[in-house]
Formats: sequence, structure tokens, C-alpha cells
Amino acid sequence: MRYSSMKVWEGRCREGSNSEQGSDLMQVGISAIEYVLGSDRVSVEELEARGMLDSPAARLSEFGFSCARLSRESSYTLATAAVSKLLGTTGVDRTSIDALFYAGATPGCHAVVTPDPLSAFNYPVAQLQYELELTHAAAFGVSQVGCLGLMASVALAKDFLLSCEIARRALCVSADVLPAGCKREMIYNVISDGACAVLLEKECDRNRILAYRQVTKGYYWNSIAQKNEITAAYFPTARNIVRDTLADVSLNSSDISCILPHNVSLRSWEILLSLIQIGREKLFAENIAKMAHVIAADNWINLRDAAETGRLHHGDKLLLFTFGFGANWACMVLEH
Amino acid sequence: MAHTVLVTGATGMIGQALVPLLARRNDVGAIFALTHASEYLGSSCKVTPVRGDVTAGPALGIAPESSREILDRTDVIVHAAANTRFSASLDEARTVNLEGTKNLLAFASHCPRLKAFAALSTVHVAGKRTGTICEEDLDHTAGFVNSYEQSKYETELLLRERMSALPISVLRLSTVLGSSTTGEVRRMAAIHHALRLYYNSLAPMIPGKPDSLVDLIAAEYAAAAVEHFAAEYFQAGRTFHICCGENALTLVHLLQLTREAFLRYRPAWRKRAIEMPAIVDLPTFELFVRSVEEVGDNILRSSVAIIKHFVPQLGYPKIFRDVECTRLLEAKGLLKPSVLEFYPQVVCWLVESGWGEIRTLAGGAGA
Repeated sequence: MRYSSMKVWEGRCREGSNSEQGSDLMQVGISAIEYVLGSDRVSVEELEARGMLDSPAARLSEFGFSCARLSRESSYTLATAAVSKLLGTTGVDRTSIDALFYAGATPGCHAVVTPDPLSAFNYPVAQLQYELELTHAAAFGVSQVGCLGLMASVALAKDFLLSCEIARRALCVSADVLPAGCKREMIYNVISDGACAVLLEKECDRNRILAYRQVTKGYYWNSIAQKNEITAAYFPTARNIVRDTLADVSLNSSDISCILPHNVSLRSWEILLSLIQIGREKLFAENIAKMAHVIAADNWINLRDAAETGRLHHGDKLLLFTFGFGANWACMVLEH
Repeated sequence: MAHTVLVTGATGMIGQALVPLLARRNDVGAIFALTHASEYLGSSCKVTPVRGDVTAGPALGIAPESSREILDRTDVIVHAAANTRFSASLDEARTVNLEGTKNLLAFASHCPRLKAFAALSTVHVAGKRTGTICEEDLDHTAGFVNSYEQSKYETELLLRERMSALPISVLRLSTVLGSSTTGEVRRMAAIHHALRLYYNSLAPMIPGKPDSLVDLIAAEYAAAAVEHFAAEYFQAGRTFHICCGENALTLVHLLQLTREAFLRYRPAWRKRAIEMPAIVDLPTFELFVRSVEEVGDNILRSSVAIIKHFVPQLGYPKIFRDVECTRLLEAKGLLKPSVLEFYPQVVCWLVESGWGEIRTLAGGAGA
């Protein structure tokens, strides 16, 4: 029997928690990642010409950005494409997916809007579950954590799998598309549209999740009015959460083989790297210029691409860090 | 015969506290308080405000009818006037600190009764030097963090040069934080603005090392020490460090005390969950400052501008030796207030007065 409702999940969770299965056998890893980006590649110079930047293009180039990827499709379409791609490349049995987590940073990503005001209740996660025949997946939306959406989903999915004895797989997807013509710069970062799907499996020895921490500082909830305070709070809070997450699994900065960043400016990463005492050579920064900040998807896109380029080796300890409006900081440690 | 004292910078942070102390002395008969502002100088009949300016040439801009009397009567000069604005250009700083001192020295050379010329300086003439800084040291070639330090260093060179001709003593003060009895801060300086930035979550990082010493002194102690070395135990040709010395708090301890004080005196601050500024190396701090200057908006730029001429000094850890000064002051019964005690008081005053903007406090700012 699979789970089709929260109620059943709750029942199974209690059952699972009473089982004698030890945590060593209950490891959760990430077995597959696929993503799609907005189809239009627009240079920062062109974005500036279109009035879509606040800072000069030359300055953003210095900060490591060269272009943004803009989508003409909806976030839902991109989400569908990313999940379809993952299901296609892995050949995983769709009915073996026990949970589907759908993340998006903006409210528009969490409703299939029609002229009827009540269409706010039309949820894309349910539509996706139906259209892609994930018939046994319990569906959840993860919202209001900004660019943390996908990392928070992965953390929730891991907990779901660990708490449900017979659950095997969970699928997380994030999709964000900013409205056409809107600004593409937020706090000195260039923003792209895209979607990313992440498959988690129990007893998977790839990309095992070793530790996760999230810090929410509600004082900074007003991301527009408190832009400066957020910028100032970003670095010390980031430093602390990285330190604490590493300490959770008795690791030091020197144990980290690779940082899979959120694609904010290289300048910002240079400062943070100094704070967390990890060398620049460990930062997988190749995608910052190529695709800019794909909202919630960066860390996972970078994990996939870093693995594909042969940069990662079995047993490597990987550090993922991201920040999302809300205001949320999150850090995860994986073992590749 | 009672002393007649000329005080420059009488309305400044030290001058305001010093003038009443001098006025209370039985051996001081008159005080000429040179000022270019029309500020209140206390009610003592001994104090005569004199409109003038050390930058206005060797006559100090003093009206001729007053000038002759001041020249004839003055036997003690306390030179406290300075441009202490760290963000001032070097030219601006030199105009007041170096050229102003030159002018005052020229004026002093015409005082027939002159016995003492006490020049206030800063321990930070040591600039970017690190390690132990002694009172007589003046070989500071490591460079400077700001124009204030450099101009005061150049001023000390000038004073040393003139020590053979005039009875000059140099009193180097460290950072004067505020009152050790009330916590009141009469004039906001860079450190107070930096504390405000931390309080308002606009201070992400601070350069230095956790165990770098931050030398802070109380206003009363500073003023009393200056009074002692100017009017009671003047030592021509000597330099004294009026500072906290080896009792100074470390940077990390100071940040912890600040946080504790914010939480104690403004419990609601806790829910903001503001992190303590990260202590970073100087290049990292400079990279952050450069980034903000390149792309930050006005508020962040202003915040950085407040601290960037001041906090880099913490990146050059040093300890100021003040053994001789402390010995002499202790012999007089003047003990250093514990920074552990007065620091929280000052933070309390800053928080409760809104950094001096709430003027209704009893004995509060600007009273």
C-alpha cells in the first residue's frame, strides 16, 4: 500500500518510528538531478539596455555574471519539463515515488490561476502528480522560504523517507519564472528562470545527506524595506550556520572537498569563503556566469554539473549553502 | 601666584570635562577658554570664553584687545583643539591639527610666563604599528589608518622639535568612550556610531583578531589625568599614555559585552536575533567595503563610511604601555575606572537616549 493522503502518512510515520531499523540502514541519498532553464539567453548588457537591472552591467560582469536565462513558459511548464526529464533519464518507476514536494519562491508559482478567484486553490503540485502519473506520491507545496525552497524540500523529503518505514523514494522540484519584463537584479545578483528536479532514495549511497540546518530570522521579513539590514546580516549568519552544520557532523572546513553554491555574486562568495575559511579553489563557480542565480535551484544544478564534469569523487564531503528571503539561511552537507 | 590657563578646544569631548576640573583648583586663578562656538562653558567665574580659532593664524583670531592680556597672563596652555573626524581629508586634518598647533606654538612663544604647554594627542599616532607601543616611541613608519592619526603624528614631530624651546608635554589619549558615572556621551564619535550600526543590524563584520585589544577610557579619568599632567605634575619633554593599557578588553569580549548590554537594556532587541559582527581579516573587510561602495545604496554606503576610517585600526593589534602614567596617577589617588563596569553603562546610556537623540533623560545628552 502506498500513501495517498497525509493521514496515512502520519500513521505510517508512527509505525516507522517504532520500528527497529537503525539510522545506519535508513540513509537517504540523492540519486538523480535534472534541470531546465529559461530558453532565452540574455546578456547583462542587453538586460541593462532593457532597463532590467539596477546596477551597471559592467559592475555585474565584475561580480561574475554574464547573462540571465529568461523563460517564455510558465513555471509549471518548466517544472513538468524538469521532472519529465528526470523520470526519462532514470527510468524510475513512477509509481515508486512516495512523495512529491513542489517548491517555488513566488506565490505565482503555487497556483494554477484562472479568472475564478477560487483558482488560488488550484495547486500545481496536484496537477503535476496527475499529469506525470505519480499516482502514489503524497503531494506537498513548499513556499515562503524564498530561494531555500528546494533545499528545504530535500530536507523535508529526507525526513519523510526516514519517518515512513516503507517509503522508498521522494521527488522534489522547484520552479520559478519571474513575470515578463520585471527587474532581473536582486541585491546585486542577476536572476534567471528555471526548474530543477531532485530524486531522493532511501539506502542510496550517492550524495548521502549528512547534515542540514536552517535558520530563519523573521526580523528581516520585509525584503524590500530591509535590503540593507539583510545584506549586513547575510555574512555573519552564513558564517555561523556553516560552522554549526559542519560541527553537527564533526567536520572542519578543511574536510570539505567542494562547495556547491547558490549562484550569487562571486564577490559575495569571496567574502564568505574568507569567513568560513575555505579556499576559492573549492568553490564550484562555473555556473554563475553561465546561468546566474536560478532562485531555488542553484545548489542542485551545481551538484549535477559538478558531478558530470568529474570534479566530484566518491566519498567527497560537499557543502551546500543558500539564502532565501523570508529571511532564511540554510546549509547542507552531503557525502558524494 | 595662581595659574592662568589657556584651554583650546574647550567645548570638545575632553575640554568640556577639563575646564570645570581646572576651575575647581585653588591654584588656578583664571581660565581663558578658546572657542569658535558659542557653547555653554559652565558657571565658574574663573572661566572667560574667548572667541578664537587655532587655524586663524599665530594670533589665533583673538581680538587684539584680549590678546595682550592673555599673552601676558597665561602660564599654562592645554591644547585640546583638534579635528578628530576620521573621515576628514589629510589637508583638512592637517589644517587644524598640525597648522593649528603651529599657530598655537607661535602664540605660546610670546607668553612670557609660560611654564607648561600640555598638548593632547592620541595613542593612535602609532598608526599601523603592531605590538607594544611605549610612551616615548615616535618612530612610526608603518603608515596610518586615517588622516587623524597621520596629522597627529606629524603634530607630535613638530612638538618634539619645539621641546627645546618651549616647555612641552604630550598627553596621548586612547578612545574616550563616555562617562564612567552616568554613561553619558557628550560627543558622538566613530565608536558610538559603530555601536549604533550593530544595534540596527548594519554592522556585518569588523576587522581584527578576536584577541585584539580595544583600548577605551572613561571621560572623567581622561580629563582628570590631563588636569594632573597639565596643572599639577607637568613634566616638560615627556609623553604620557592616558589609556587602558593591559587592562583593555579584547575585541571578542567587547562584542559580547555589547550584545549583553543591548539585551539587558532593550530586552525587545532579542527577538531581532541580530548576529554579532563577524571578526574578519583586513583584506576581507576591505573587500566588503569596496563592494558596498561600488554597488550599495546610500544607507549601506553611509554605514560603511562611518566605520571604514576607524575600525581598520583593529586589524593592527597593539598594546599601549602606560606604566609610568598609571604609577603617577595612582600615586595621586586617581585610579582607572574598570572598563568592565563603565562600558555597559555607556551602552545603556546610548540605548536609552537613542544615541543622544532623546534629550529628556535626567542629566542626559546635551544637558
